[in-house]
Amino acid sequence: MSAALRASGISVSFGAVRALQGVDLEVGAGKLVGLIGPNGAGKTTFVDAITGFVQASGSVRLQGHDISKLPPHRRARLGLARTWQTIELFDDLSVQENLAVAGGRPSLGSTLAEIVFGREPRAERMAEEVVGLLDLEDIAAEMPANLSQGRRKLVGIARALAARPSLLLLDEPAAGLDTHESQDLGRRLRRLADDGLPTLLIDHDMGLVLGICDEIYVLDFGKVIAYGTPEEVRGNPDVLAAYLGKSGTDVQPAAPGTGSTWAAVAEGTGER
Amino acid sequence: MSDPVLSLEKVSAGYGQADVVREIDLVVRPGEIVTLLGPNGAGKTTTLRVVSGLVRPSRGTVRYKGRDMSHLSPTQRARAGIAHVPEGRGIFFGLTVAEHLRLGYRGETIDPAAVYTYFPALRQLRDRPAGLLSGGEQQMLAVARNLARRPALLLLDELSLGLAPLLVEGLLPVVRDYSRERNCGVLLVEQHVPLALDVADHCYVLSHGDVVLHEPAARLRENPELLVESYLGQSSTSEAPATS
Amino acid sequence: MASQIFAYAIIGLGSGALIAGVGLGVVLSYRGSGVINLSTGAIAMLAGYCYWALATGEFGVTFPTGWAITLTLLFSAVVGVGFELGVVRPLRRQPALAKLVATLGILLSAQAAVVLAFGDTAHPQPAILPGGNVTLFTVTIPNYDIWMAAIVLGVGLLIAATYRWTRFGIGTRAAAENEAYATLFGLSPNRYSMGNTVAMALVMGLVGMLAASISEVDPTTLVLLIVPGLAAAMFGRLTGFTTTYVAGLVIGMAEGVLVYLSTQSWFPTSNGGPLPGVDNLLVLLVLVVATFFRAGKIPSRGDIVERRLPKAPRPVAPLRTAAVFVPIAAVAMWALPFGFREGLITSCIFAVSLLSLVVVTGYLGQLSLVQLGLAGVAGFMVSHLFTNFGIGFPWAPIVGVLAAAALGVGFGFPALRVRGVQLAVVTLAATVTLETFWFSNGSWGAGVTGAQVPAPSLFGFDFGTNASLHGLGGGEPSPLFGWFCLIVLAVMALLVANLRRSRLGQQMLAVRANERAAAASGVNVRNVKLTGFGIAAGIAGVCGVLLSYSYGSITAASFSTLVAVALVAFVYITGITSVPGGIFGGLIYTGGIFAYALLDWFGLQGNWLNLIVGFLVVLSLISRPEGGATFLFYGKRPSLRPRASMQHGEVAGGAEPGRHGDHGLAPLEIEVRS
Repeated sequence: MSAALRASGISVSFGAVRALQGVDLEVGAGKLVGLIGPNGAGKTTFVDAITGFVQASGSVRLQGHDISKLPPHRRARLGLARTWQTIELFDDLSVQENLAVAGGRPSLGSTLAEIVFGREPRAERMAEEVVGLLDLEDIAAEMPANLSQGRRKLVGIARALAARPSLLLLDEPAAGLDTHESQDLGRRLRRLADDGLPTLLIDHDMGLVLGICDEIYVLDFGKVIAYGTPEEVRGNPDVLAAYLGKSGTDVQPAAPGTGSTWAAVAEGTGER
Repeated sequence: MSDPVLSLEKVSAGYGQADVVREIDLVVRPGEIVTLLGPNGAGKTTTLRVVSGLVRPSRGTVRYKGRDMSHLSPTQRARAGIAHVPEGRGIFFGLTVAEHLRLGYRGETIDPAAVYTYFPALRQLRDRPAGLLSGGEQQMLAVARNLARRPALLLLDELSLGLAPLLVEGLLPVVRDYSRERNCGVLLVEQHVPLALDVADHCYVLSHGDVVLHEPAARLRENPELLVESYLGQSSTSEAPATS
Repeated sequence: MASQIFAYAIIGLGSGALIAGVGLGVVLSYRGSGVINLSTGAIAMLAGYCYWALATGEFGVTFPTGWAITLTLLFSAVVGVGFELGVVRPLRRQPALAKLVATLGILLSAQAAVVLAFGDTAHPQPAILPGGNVTLFTVTIPNYDIWMAAIVLGVGLLIAATYRWTRFGIGTRAAAENEAYATLFGLSPNRYSMGNTVAMALVMGLVGMLAASISEVDPTTLVLLIVPGLAAAMFGRLTGFTTTYVAGLVIGMAEGVLVYLSTQSWFPTSNGGPLPGVDNLLVLLVLVVATFFRAGKIPSRGDIVERRLPKAPRPVAPLRTAAVFVPIAAVAMWALPFGFREGLITSCIFAVSLLSLVVVTGYLGQLSLVQLGLAGVAGFMVSHLFTNFGIGFPWAPIVGVLAAAALGVGFGFPALRVRGVQLAVVTLAATVTLETFWFSNGSWGAGVTGAQVPAPSLFGFDFGTNASLHGLGGGEPSPLFGWFCLIVLAVMALLVANLRRSRLGQQMLAVRANERAAAASGVNVRNVKLTGFGIAAGIAGVCGVLLSYSYGSITAASFSTLVAVALVAFVYITGITSVPGGIFGGLIYTGGIFAYALLDWFGLQGNWLNLIVGFLVVLSLISRPEGGATFLFYGKRPSLRPRASMQHGEVAGGAEPGRHGDHGLAPLEIEVRS
């Protein structure tokens, strides 16, 4: 069985800036994989490269199919769904309509029936399921502008799910959420992965990523600097250095036991 | 202890209906560097924008030199002595270095010599458009141009964004010296924690819009685990007990 | 011959200088405030009339030339200040498209005001520049052509130097690149905006006086100089003063050369005269080239945009609404006196064309000014199919509508590449070209006399304007034709309402809201846009067919550029995003039933309506962008002010780093889409 996503040698340059330099990343079937790294490390650029929004070299395989040369909407139709840091809902459409747009493409016949005879667009079964899954029933008819940040984030995820994806890419779904909302989101994402949806999760909430992911990639300056299970990544001094800095100051994480501090703290959070 | 140059009293702010920071209390005194730490999305940048007026607080009061600033526009705040180097440098790519030094509001004059004393390297680059400078040089220009305004309060947002930490290490001591000499309060947002703690006097840690830690920087330098804990403290995991 | 061509090119310097001047005004407006100002030509016209009135004693006092010039410049400055305070500043947080539409409103008002005050005949104006001629290669060249090129060159150099070296210029450039950063430095973007707007108005004042001094003042020539002026400005990427100046001169010189070429025996002719409108075709080509090869590099401005396009509410029960209003209108068609009946029919017909704008602008978010031109295409097809092939109803209209739709899809292609605002510019030029090159052409179009259109009839049953059935008050047009138009309008309205509810409509709104997110959701943005353009063009074609039947003949004047501008203004105040908006727009449109009532009851001319509507456009953009009728029908929804979106860090991973104005600090939707 081929991996849900296999990206190899992904490189992206913006003028002289090399935003990604040969990134290899794999999301196995049914796995929840985390992608973390400091601000500006190139995480969003990676998602843009995979989904076709920036020019990238390297190969992207979705369920074994090479999609590197396809435009974004073709990739989406093959099962690649993503969310955005900035949410990017369709502001002029209700929540339900947002999901419907992602849910399927109307045939010529149904379009004619809808326009000429005024037939109500058929509700997408998947869209309905997703609404139930994420507890959005009460806001299905609302306009996005009237929702809280947390709900808007959920709608963004719901829209991605409505497309029946074979791979879900989440770009900072927890940013801007309060602690409670963030925890709640974590549980939902874990459940989705357990139900068999391969997911790549980018987030700055280390507790969230370390807590729910199966595997984690760490990106810094456009390169993968670490990879492994949450435990392995926690103990990796490079990771701590990338996050907290590695300049020669007296707070150096080079001190033995710093890694274990991370581990201890992260463990501790699980019980809090 | 001198009167604060900046104080935030129970300030909440955000975009649209969502508050990104909630009920923040924060004080910056003249001549001291206060650093604001925390993971991305915690509300650090928003806090700076509230101070410079780019974002209006939904609740709470922002005082500058003891005066409530809520009725002042960003332009007026800048003229009153608040300098803000935003994320992304805050300089103009189409303008040369020299033109940045001619830029100014009516009655304001910038002494180019002062700028070049902070960062002599800029002198050779004076006729180059800022868009063609390297990231480090751009950041140098941004800091120099803002120091040359002789601000009483300096806001610095993620100087190290997209830069090697080494480049920023050269900038912060200059800020440190200026702050001491001119009695300027500095509010510094920085993701490279050691860099920030190195120069800071006080440290606040934000997480999900709340202040979760407020300590003298010296204490955190000695006990880094305090910081790591607060960084990860507000985490969520699948095993976390359901609170709903 | 080569020397003659050269001499004619020199003659073209004069009009080239005017084009360059208007172009410079466009660039000043864009750099100062991000407004693509379509009213620069209109402001020049106001100045031209002002000078004429002062210098000829129209107001009772005749001023000497020097005084008249000074006072006209003063007047221009006042117009500039008014434009800044009344249009630019209130709209500064609005998307570029809204700003552009506001300048269309000003264009409409200025033109209507001049016609109301001075009539629509041309007035000769006293000369400012020295007379005399020089003779070059046997061609006599008036001195003023050369003088004008020199004066505008001087102005252009002065502006360029100001931008390059003064503090004001540097500040303007900074504020244009990133408004938020500029405020952090204590700069005041409002001040730069004001300075540039006043400079624009002064340059336009100069252009207006010069233009009128070489010929005469009239209410349209200078207004439409905006089209070649825009072409020149687009060549300068809306920012380069020198390039704009040179491009303007070259366009003028090329037009001069065309004048020479049209005297040659090989030049294509039409009804004995040289082919008309070739100069406009040339400008369109320049504009298309500029848009495709230069516009991509227009630095997008770092303006803070808080408000997007107005909402497009979902119709609740369109059939039920139609069932209430159609019978009322049907009775009115029969019962009203003939003048009102004619007005109601005209309203129905123009409402159809406004529905086409609802689709293309309201749903798809693209401002197309060529919809009326597309209507003309269908109308002229109906006429020609009859005169040349004897084809009548219903086949001729079907072919006409399909032709319009096909052409509409063709105009959709530029929309795939350029932003909404630039599309407005290209379609404006396309409208001028269709009008002059096709519709006015004696062989293909109507010439000056008009092309005949047969009355529509089916199986021998005539339902044209002079059908046998008469309404209550008697007289033409026949209510039969009115009912025909009413039914067509009702069907079109239902189609457009259903489109909003359909999944295709949802995809259009998704594309309008966010092209990237739409593509990420599997929407084929290209196809959706082209389909939308095709549907809108087809609806416009239906309007053209009805229009041609309603007059019994068809002329270019029915599809003129200024009519197209007026239509956009009307539908913006009633609601560009909804079906009721389109229909109400038709009801109040000049020539429609409301305008007739004003004329009949109060003796108010249609130009009064245009004058008011032009200003109302600005007002409604400021206070109620969703339009009056939309508001009435759908009420106020909570939070019509969309929230500003957050943008967290990760600059290296931004959309397209390196694009000016899009680096960092994007707290409040730094404008990317429009």
